Amino acid sequence: MSLQTDNRKFSERTAEGIDNPFMRSAVSSAQDSLKTRRLSAATALGEWEEWRKAGQQIRQHTLKHLDYYLEELARNIDRRGGKIYFARTKEEASAYIGRIVEQKNAKRIVKSKSMVTEEIELNHVLLEMGCEVTETDLGEYILQVDDWEAPSHIVAPALHKDRKQIRRVFAERLGYQGDETPENLARFAREVLRQKFLEADIGITGCNFAVANLGAINLVTNEGNGDLTAAIPKTHIAVMGMERIVPSLEEMEVLDNLLCRSAVGQKLTSYITVMGPSAPGEADGPEDFHLVVVDNGRSDILGSEFNDALQCIRCGACLNVCPVYRHIGGHSYGSIYPGPIGAVITPLLGGYDDYKELPYASSLCAACTDVCPVKIPLHEQLILHRQKIVEQGRTGTADRLQMKTAARVLSSPSLFGKVLRLANPGSRMISSRGRIVRGPAIVRGWTSARDLPQPVRQKDSFRSWMENRKGGSGN
Amino acid sequence: MSMQQPIHANNNKEAFLDHIAAKLGRERVHQVERPKLALPGRKDTPATEELVDILKEQCFFIHTQVIESSPEILQQTLNDLLEANGGGPVLTSADPRFAEYGLEFSGRLLWEAAAGRDENIRRAAAAGTAVVFADYALAESGTIVVESRPDQGRAFHFLTGHYIAVIERSRIVPRSTQAAADLNRRVMAGEPMGSCINLISGPSNSADIEMQLVVGVHGPLRATYVLI
Repeated sequence: MSLQTDNRKFSERTAEGIDNPFMRSAVSSAQDSLKTRRLSAATALGEWEEWRKAGQQIRQHTLKHLDYYLEELARNIDRRGGKIYFARTKEEASAYIGRIVEQKNAKRIVKSKSMVTEEIELNHVLLEMGCEVTETDLGEYILQVDDWEAPSHIVAPALHKDRKQIRRVFAERLGYQGDETPENLARFAREVLRQKFLEADIGITGCNFAVANLGAINLVTNEGNGDLTAAIPKTHIAVMGMERIVPSLEEMEVLDNLLCRSAVGQKLTSYITVMGPSAPGEADGPEDFHLVVVDNGRSDILGSEFNDALQCIRCGACLNVCPVYRHIGGHSYGSIYPGPIGAVITPLLGGYDDYKELPYASSLCAACTDVCPVKIPLHEQLILHRQKIVEQGRTGTADRLQMKTAARVLSSPSLFGKVLRLANPGSRMISSRGRIVRGPAIVRGWTSARDLPQPVRQKDSFRSWMENRKGGSGN
Repeated sequence: MSMQQPIHANNNKEAFLDHIAAKLGRERVHQVERPKLALPGRKDTPATEELVDILKEQCFFIHTQVIESSPEILQQTLNDLLEANGGGPVLTSADPRFAEYGLEFSGRLLWEAAAGRDENIRRAAAAGTAVVFADYALAESGTIVVESRPDQGRAFHFLTGHYIAVIERSRIVPRSTQAAADLNRRVMAGEPMGSCINLISGPSNSADIEMQLVVGVHGPLRATYVLI
């Protein structure tokens, strides 16, 4: 998988999402439960706004001095006997990892959930090399077993699937014979995956935050798979987006608290781990530890007007409150990063050619901005994208013509009045009982989902009504 | 080793960091003052009994049983727990506190540096219950903190079905803030540290199937804290 999960047109993807009642009911109930949990966890902490400010300050400080902290990290990883590699592109990152696999003659690889490894198409590279790759996060494993289906949420990747579908996939692909209760499905996966951990040559994880002054990485999980991935195999490769770093354990602690509460409404997740290369005398943990720091387009965001998007800590809270995500689902975004944050960063990482529609997949209600634990002005960044898309002339001819016409009509009171007078007679042919069910192209975006009231007759308009009331009783 | 050279000979660091500095519109910086954190929240330190209450309440939410015991009856408490849960054999480390509290378990498996990687992992996977002493306990989140050591590895905490952490009351702090500050103080002082620090809050779990909580996924299926 790469950044792009679906190369069909945006309108085709969203139409498929909207027509999928299964997915829509799964997404809306997940959103409701995650929203409520986040809110109660934030309330329980108290002074949430102050914590958000602290989170924002930490992220901004680190981004502003990113070269310094990465250098400190490199020095400390080196001091602890680990290796750090800086990859400018996704090709460099996955090629480096490929070389380690080759050198180790590794065949069996276990992975714990990592969005950045999806971004660098690592699984593809490893499978091409003939490795057996196992995603060990339960949600990711379900998707892998179902022909490597794309994730639809950054925290709960299989959120669009229900238990019946999961049982069927396990039964068909793995010979599972149990029922569809989540406990039994999870217990079955535990048994299958336990063996994979014990046999693995290499473990690959992502990285929630690297800790610069310690030379370690921090993983925030619930299942325990990340820890097993970094404990049992002799080689651990961690992959991080270059901006995911904190100065010390103190800043990490603040961000982990914000992350856990925002993502899943837990005070802290079951496992929060800080790890590096195995220390002398320790029996397990990696003898060989590699940290791969990935740029892959991030440096172009750094210092730009979209800089704040790099503050993201990947909690997914913005997905959980987004009314658009609720209806079209994660797959409609065509990116491994869906939802409001996906609509901001996907066009930055993947370009407008493929993703110019995403900034429009928003009602600009700003619910995303309100919940963001590190105060990214998400809806403002979406507007900024739209401005750029228009400036670059990337909107269609029809769109441009429409906007031009609107500008002319709206800036001339007499022209506006004329249009209003003509609107009612002009729409008679396509209206029935005061409603337009199927309108012309200009209003089709609206009428494809709901009826449009027919424009009122001139004598019933607000202006005439106001005119008639002049000099009246005034109440 | 000779094969490793080509891979790591050039890790791209200088060019990569120069590029970042250029994007930030300045030269590379080599001295940065870490801003002092001004964090909200309680500034006073609650008494131990209050911390115990907070910890116990939180453990209810994270599906973790809390048992109040004492050094005198610790062995009995642990025996009762093992019997009730059928969780043998027991995995322990060479933590001196096992001897200090006079703890013994029949047929116990020991994680010890001398046994090496494969044998230690085999023992942990063969054990039913792991017993560990917490370095810190965080009341607010119901968390114990443990650090890897030659006699207590990483996989120690993740392979058994039942995980029992013994918490000495004096080690309970209000929240993660205090543990992070203390650990960072050690980092800054250059004290030797384990390669892995685990903050563990209850048993493993997942909500990946229909957002329904499943307790017990890859790590332990059950967690118990014993307060002494």
